[in-house]
Amino acid sequence: MKDYIKYYAGVDIGSVSIKAALVSNRRLIATKLVASGASYKDAAQKVLYSVLVQAGLDAERLSGIVVTGLGSESAPFPARQISDISCQAMGCHYLFPSARTVINIGGQFTKVAKITPQGRVVDFLMSEKCAAGSGRFLQVIARILHVTLENIGPLSLQSREPVEFSTNCAVFAESETVSRIAEGARAEDILAGVHRAMAIKVAMLVKGVKMEPDVVLMGGGGEDAGLVLAIGEALGTRILVPEQPRVSTAYGAACLAELDLAL
Amino acid sequence: MKPASIQLDELYVQRDKHAKELRDSGKKVIGYFCCFVPDEIITAFDMVPYRIQGSQNKAIDQADAYIEPMACPFVRSCFNKALKGEYDFLDGFVAPHSCDTVERMYNIWCQNKPAPFNHLINVPHMMGPSSEKFYRQELDYFVKSLENWTGHNLDTGKLRDAVRLYNERRAVLRALYDLRKSDPPLVLGTEITTVLVAGMGIPAAKHIELVKQFIDEVKGRPLPQTQKLPRIFIWGNELDDIAFIKLVEECGAWVVMDDLCTGTRFFWEDVPETADPLDGIATRYLYTHCPRSNVPQTKTRAGDLENRYSYINDFIKEWVVNGAIFYIVRYCDTCELEGPDLREYLNGMGLPVLMIEDDYSTSTIGQLRTRVQAFLEMIG
Repeated sequence: MKDYIKYYAGVDIGSVSIKAALVSNRRLIATKLVASGASYKDAAQKVLYSVLVQAGLDAERLSGIVVTGLGSESAPFPARQISDISCQAMGCHYLFPSARTVINIGGQFTKVAKITPQGRVVDFLMSEKCAAGSGRFLQVIARILHVTLENIGPLSLQSREPVEFSTNCAVFAESETVSRIAEGARAEDILAGVHRAMAIKVAMLVKGVKMEPDVVLMGGGGEDAGLVLAIGEALGTRILVPEQPRVSTAYGAACLAELDLAL
Repeated sequence: MKPASIQLDELYVQRDKHAKELRDSGKKVIGYFCCFVPDEIITAFDMVPYRIQGSQNKAIDQADAYIEPMACPFVRSCFNKALKGEYDFLDGFVAPHSCDTVERMYNIWCQNKPAPFNHLINVPHMMGPSSEKFYRQELDYFVKSLENWTGHNLDTGKLRDAVRLYNERRAVLRALYDLRKSDPPLVLGTEITTVLVAGMGIPAAKHIELVKQFIDEVKGRPLPQTQKLPRIFIWGNELDDIAFIKLVEECGAWVVMDDLCTGTRFFWEDVPETADPLDGIATRYLYTHCPRSNVPQTKTRAGDLENRYSYINDFIKEWVVNGAIFYIVRYCDTCELEGPDLREYLNGMGLPVLMIEDDYSTSTIGQLRTRVQAFLEMIG
């Protein structure tokens, strides 16, 4: 019986982490996430192997693979390549059919797309070569404050007096953070301030594509409760976040492999 | 004799080679910026006009000691080449006040790398009768300054000949663009850019000859694959390297039309043949469709947009375009501020738009791939 079920994989080769998702009939069966490191090829092979092992499948049982993300060119296996904007849209669509606007805050870029009720992209915007609207910004600040990435969100939510950042530039914000520490600002207030500054940047992209609810936040940024709250406040709307925000683009890629759409 | 396509490829790679050969044979070569310096006038003085370009595939490694890195990277790249002595072969340097960066760069350039002849042409920003008079006067100053330097008076007969010669080149280039109208187009976008850039540093007569031969070559070769792909219009400023257009075509599209400083903007419209050829030249160059210029206001938003962009509407319809990509060299205020209005106009026609800001560097091409790919998936 099991032989008649078809399986599809999506592999998202990002700058910070590489993700794989295994689906069958759009149902998520297994996921794997590893740090990208220096060899995207090895890591991509590893995550794909891992989801197959989790499901107890041989590679031959895969009916299709879609590879996406900044490093998709370096996929070490034959796969169809689709842009991460289309993949995140489709992943978002199957996770939240009511979604019309999807935000993806990744390590390198923030991407915002307007989508149709069928999960197709109508318009999109990406943060330019600027770290202030991406996960990299948070990493920089967390490093200065000696806070682990997982603790950024919970700590930020405790803030009572968020620090006001006068710059939207990640490089200047680094020195501004140092000055604020010197002035005695608390870590939670600095983090909440950073979240607000980022949210303003992200909100400008969202407004650029003319936001429509529901709004979904995916990517690593979705794991940061402080950031989710700040973006919701900046946009004045409820933000939906999937259970595993970092693998949702890989999930969308797997769904596209299964749909075999002509894009 | 090598086929024209090979000769054009070689001229595209070694852009100054032919100009240097001409200079060694005794010709004077006049370098200039942008689309507002009439080639006709320089040619009428028996000199070779040379359009100054930068190098998108080389880092800017000297200019930042003189100007801030947040200035236009195209102009910085050109100046960088000058500082390295790569423009030492120029006998003249002419800048129009096309944008503020070029205008100020004139002073910095002349201060650090003066050519034997230097001249700045003031170009008014509003297209209209009073500006025509003003610009006509500026061209008189330009002619006088050339007369003083060369010791020869302008020969009106030669200027008339030059007008006819450049109009012939415009006609030949438009004929080349006609080959992009079919589906699939007979010429690739990368080939078009190669042909245009190759012609920026050689006499028009030679360019005309090469383009004619190239058109014959294209007509004689087998038809390209007939796969249905989106047809793209590119709008922006200086795109003198094929890298970006190559990326778009590699992602699965045909680049079929453009409005670029290195494309239709510099050659599309003819110079009208007037009794005094300088009158026709002034009119033609003043009405160059550069976002640095503005048109008289019509008092309605729709009227203003139509007034500014109806020529693009014609491009879109005649070349059957499915999507527009704005490729803007970073810090180009004029393009960045023109973008939103043009986007509104094109979206109003039902045309999707992708706006890209880039660093005038081929090293960023990889990062742009996602955007281009997603855009093509969206409209495909």
